[in-house]
Amino acid sequence: MVGAVAALVLSGLILLLTGRNPFRLLAEAIDAVLGGRAGIEGTALRAIPILMTALGVALSLRMKVWNIGSDGQFLMGAFAAVGVGIHLGGPGWFVLIVMALAATAAGALWIAVPALARAFWDVNEIITTLLLNFVAVQLVTWSALGFWRDEAAAVIQSTEKVPHVLPSLPGTEQLTIALLVPLAIAVVLAWVFRSSKAGFEIDVIGGNPRAAVFAGVNVRRRILVVMLVTGAIAGLGGMLQLSAPGAQALSSGFSAQFGLSGFIVAALAGGSFRGVIAGGFFIASMFFAGLVLQTKGLSVFIIFGIYGIILTGIALGEVAARYRLVRTAPHPPAVLTPEVPT
Amino acid sequence: MILALIDNALLSVIAAAIPASTVVVLAASGCLLGERVGVLNLGQEGLIGIGAVYAVIAVTSWGVGSPWLGMAIGVLAAAIAGLLFAIAVVVFRASQVLVGLALTLGGIGLSNQLGTNRNGTPIEVLFREVNPGGGLEDGGVLEAFLFHDPVVYLAYLVVPALLVFVLFRTRHGMNMRAVGENPAAADAAGVSVVRARIGYTVLGSALSGAGGAYMVLSFTPTWSPDIARGRGWVALAVVIFAGWRPFRVVIGALLYGSMISLDATAQARGWKLPFLEGSDLSFFLSMLPFVVTLVAILVPAGAAKLGLRAMGTTAPAALGVPYSREER
Repeated sequence: MVGAVAALVLSGLILLLTGRNPFRLLAEAIDAVLGGRAGIEGTALRAIPILMTALGVALSLRMKVWNIGSDGQFLMGAFAAVGVGIHLGGPGWFVLIVMALAATAAGALWIAVPALARAFWDVNEIITTLLLNFVAVQLVTWSALGFWRDEAAAVIQSTEKVPHVLPSLPGTEQLTIALLVPLAIAVVLAWVFRSSKAGFEIDVIGGNPRAAVFAGVNVRRRILVVMLVTGAIAGLGGMLQLSAPGAQALSSGFSAQFGLSGFIVAALAGGSFRGVIAGGFFIASMFFAGLVLQTKGLSVFIIFGIYGIILTGIALGEVAARYRLVRTAPHPPAVLTPEVPT
Repeated sequence: MILALIDNALLSVIAAAIPASTVVVLAASGCLLGERVGVLNLGQEGLIGIGAVYAVIAVTSWGVGSPWLGMAIGVLAAAIAGLLFAIAVVVFRASQVLVGLALTLGGIGLSNQLGTNRNGTPIEVLFREVNPGGGLEDGGVLEAFLFHDPVVYLAYLVVPALLVFVLFRTRHGMNMRAVGENPAAADAAGVSVVRARIGYTVLGSALSGAGGAYMVLSFTPTWSPDIARGRGWVALAVVIFAGWRPFRVVIGALLYGSMISLDATAQARGWKLPFLEGSDLSFFLSMLPFVVTLVAILVPAGAAKLGLRAMGTTAPAALGVPYSREER
């Protein structure tokens, strides 16, 4: 928490150095996000994909497993959803349910190789999950420009459009029931970790995997299942993003670094699912404000820089949290202890 | 006739892989250096970007006329970034994974920001091909195999040889490996863990920066956003494939590079995909380098599980673990 605040202050200083007034930008950002219905709904709309990837990453972080490939799982979920959506006929609700199931399975499948390798061969999951992101991006680009390409769309190259969208959330203009999914998953995950044996075992593995083995936990199976669930949640996120009105098709720019943002949110929240919800909306508001600020000459690359600073702040904050300031006597008496021969 | 054609195509793919993998060889050697003393630097993508963008700035804006000096400036910038990383993870003992990812993000953001107005600008100050002499200029495969920039020879021959010599033939190298395997024991034996870790992390970052500088001063040769395009992650993977051995790094990097040059060769020769009629082969081929790299990491781990010890070497025992005297 201290780290995050320090990181934001530092980001402000960097903005100041590049000749921009951080307070005015902040005021404009806050005004853009909270100053009206469009801002609040726009933020919530952007929060959905970030929350879904963040929930998956937060779940794996409880076990000290780093899933950096949630961008790829998210894309593959959307890929499977498009494949089902443009080929399957039938009533809308039926197609949407099959799309959600396919996306969940695709997300889990996309992390299956890293998960099996980590669980049974002890292969570092950081690099394997990340490498698959590049493969997913190429596959999605291929589908958009190649085998599922919409011949009618000439300007932006994308796949054909899925004719179905999720029902809208009552009382809103842009939002669908998709917003309820990450909230429900957060509640379920919080319950799992508060009151179930599985959740407890995962926390034990995260704390000390050797102790977990001695306590009779099937560590390999838990790692495998948790990683698959992580991928499944991110994959479902891809379907939710795809089924929003106006999206409905897959193009090469479909994921605006959602997996990355999700990772930052999960790291910020430090494994707390309530924290993920708060952090997800916070980062989404940054995104939304970023859209507004971009028109004022602030580049997206600076947001990357700010992410980097936030992560460093979190990492240093973790270290600082291990120490405690202790007030001692103003002048501690110097005591000379004779050296003890060892 | 057909056999000769296949042979020739295969040879030219491998020959073209040599310049294509040079970045990965340099960056992976840098990773290996840091990892042998126990520091996992996930910031490779950022370091390659920083090395590349400062080399571009040096030769286009600062009027630097020599590619070596341009590379030196890129290397220096990457080394400074590496020093910041090293201070955070060695002195403050922050999580290597988090700070490494921060370095990747910060490096990509910084280099893209600095390179904004330089997209696609052709670079005039370039490394020149060396002619090793001996009348080998046949204009064919042999020439493609042997004639390269000086940096290529450095990356493939000098850097791995130096690493092998220092790591496995000197007392200093033994101390380095001890710091990576058991820092408490090394510390007790009088080796400075902090100095070794900071020093070799910075040196490793400098090598990755040299890879980035090589990209813009010879390989591409122009600046484009996200210049590393996953090469940093491939470099990290190659070190695992290589079992932390310097010359096996070269083999792993060439494996990746052949997939890259296969893509180029296929496009030049108009090869078609045997399935998905009418679809462009290049999409499929551009996935291959990453798939092959992923498989390459799994092979040694799988071989080790099956009892084939020669294939795999385990990671330095203290890799990624911060060392603190108080907690040993």
